[in-house]
Amino acid sequence: MSDRRSFLAGALASATLFFAGPVAGQAAGIEEAARKFIESLADKAIQALTKQEVPRRERIERFRHLFNENFAVAGIGRWILGRYWRKATARQRDEYLALFEDLMVASYVDRFTEYAGERLTITKTVPTGDGAVIVFSEIIRPAGGPPIRVDWRVGVKDQTHKIVDVIVEGTSMSTTLRSDFGSIIRRNGGKVAGLIDVLRKKTESLKKTL
Amino acid sequence: MTAFPTVATLSRLGATLIVAFMLAGCAAAPDPKDADAVAEYEEVNDPAEPTNRAFFEINLALDKVILKPIAFAYKEYLPDFVQSSINSLLNNLRSPIIFFNDVLQGEFKRAGTTLLRFVINSTIGIGGLHDQAAKWDLEYHNEDFGQTLAKWGMPEGPYVMLPILGPSNPRDAVGLAVDFLLDPLNLWLANTNRDEFIFARTGLRAVDQRARHYDALQDMEESSLDFYAAIRSLYRQRRADEINQGKGSANMPAPGLSKNSISPTPWDGEEASRDE
Repeated sequence: MSDRRSFLAGALASATLFFAGPVAGQAAGIEEAARKFIESLADKAIQALTKQEVPRRERIERFRHLFNENFAVAGIGRWILGRYWRKATARQRDEYLALFEDLMVASYVDRFTEYAGERLTITKTVPTGDGAVIVFSEIIRPAGGPPIRVDWRVGVKDQTHKIVDVIVEGTSMSTTLRSDFGSIIRRNGGKVAGLIDVLRKKTESLKKTL
Repeated sequence: MTAFPTVATLSRLGATLIVAFMLAGCAAAPDPKDADAVAEYEEVNDPAEPTNRAFFEINLALDKVILKPIAFAYKEYLPDFVQSSINSLLNNLRSPIIFFNDVLQGEFKRAGTTLLRFVINSTIGIGGLHDQAAKWDLEYHNEDFGQTLAKWGMPEGPYVMLPILGPSNPRDAVGLAVDFLLDPLNLWLANTNRDEFIFARTGLRAVDQRARHYDALQDMEESSLDFYAAIRSLYRQRRADEINQGKGSANMPAPGLSKNSISPTPWDGEEASRDE
């Protein structure tokens, strides 16, 4: 394992040297750190989530842990609500964020078992100018076919990295959720309580299949 | 050049659409004094939402009984190499239209790639059944007249759910019609009274595309709260991505970047949200 890590680190370092080229020192450092963050997260996720023999309950726990540790869950949840966040009471905000987390876990946990054997290759990194870095990657499928483009928007602050958006083939997870949730709120007279009801029913029905 | 049957099909479709819009219920316009609500209304850009939702339901129902089961059987029971041959064949048949749009967009390098691909795959690739060009690093790309109009600066217009054809907007609907009418194979088939082949090709394309997006659509239907709104958002994002040729994600709005109170840096959200 440690051999593999150091090999990876070496490969990464040379890859970074190769790609970073003439970019100024500090900016390149930020990009390199974001690249390593995504590389190591992909590694961890594959280790923890793709094994069929791990019981599903255990996989759910692992996924929830990885999700909270590596995604800006509350920040994303807040951005999705947009102006309705201001209208929500403290209790509604807490309940909404908890349900949002449940929905993400229930929706995505099983997708990883299908990812066994897939490889993630980072193609480039681009700073956004607001302190975030977009890490562009391609997921290569063992079955063949064109690779899937996945861009990771990584927020960087005080040496910590958190994913704020995942963009698959040009479609952003956060933007899609914002449209989806926003539509539910509008159809419930602009009330966050309406969204919370729908979210609760959705996560309950998804949990039945868990 | 008489392409009567094709034109007839399209004008029937056009008539259906016009009737649809005459019957269109309109989404309630926001209070003009509420700036946030106005901004949101413009962002959603779906003034015929009630009608669009009705067509979405009809399309979903038709999909459930016709296209979805066929696409399921297609992806589960046909060997992978057959599916990939059919896909290559259909892509190759689209080459003239892709080439035409590459040129109209001034993308001469991509036009060259399309032309080379067509020559290689039509010959060495056995009439397009085998994508030999991709193996020689001439990757497939799609283009359509909707994208060309976008490059020329035409705005997309409001969101429209077309009956049977699915999510669209006026710009893409025009693009669809132009591509269909200018397609040399379709023209030839129409002029030689072989319309059934036009339907066969269109149907096969529908099954091929539906099968390719089967799992993604299934996941989205299960995990979204409002499938209609999720599809509307995904359609716009996909089109924007195709128009920008996959180079746009750095300019997207995203959480944790904007300075206003709703979109703080993620860490403010982590702390503040729990104890506010």
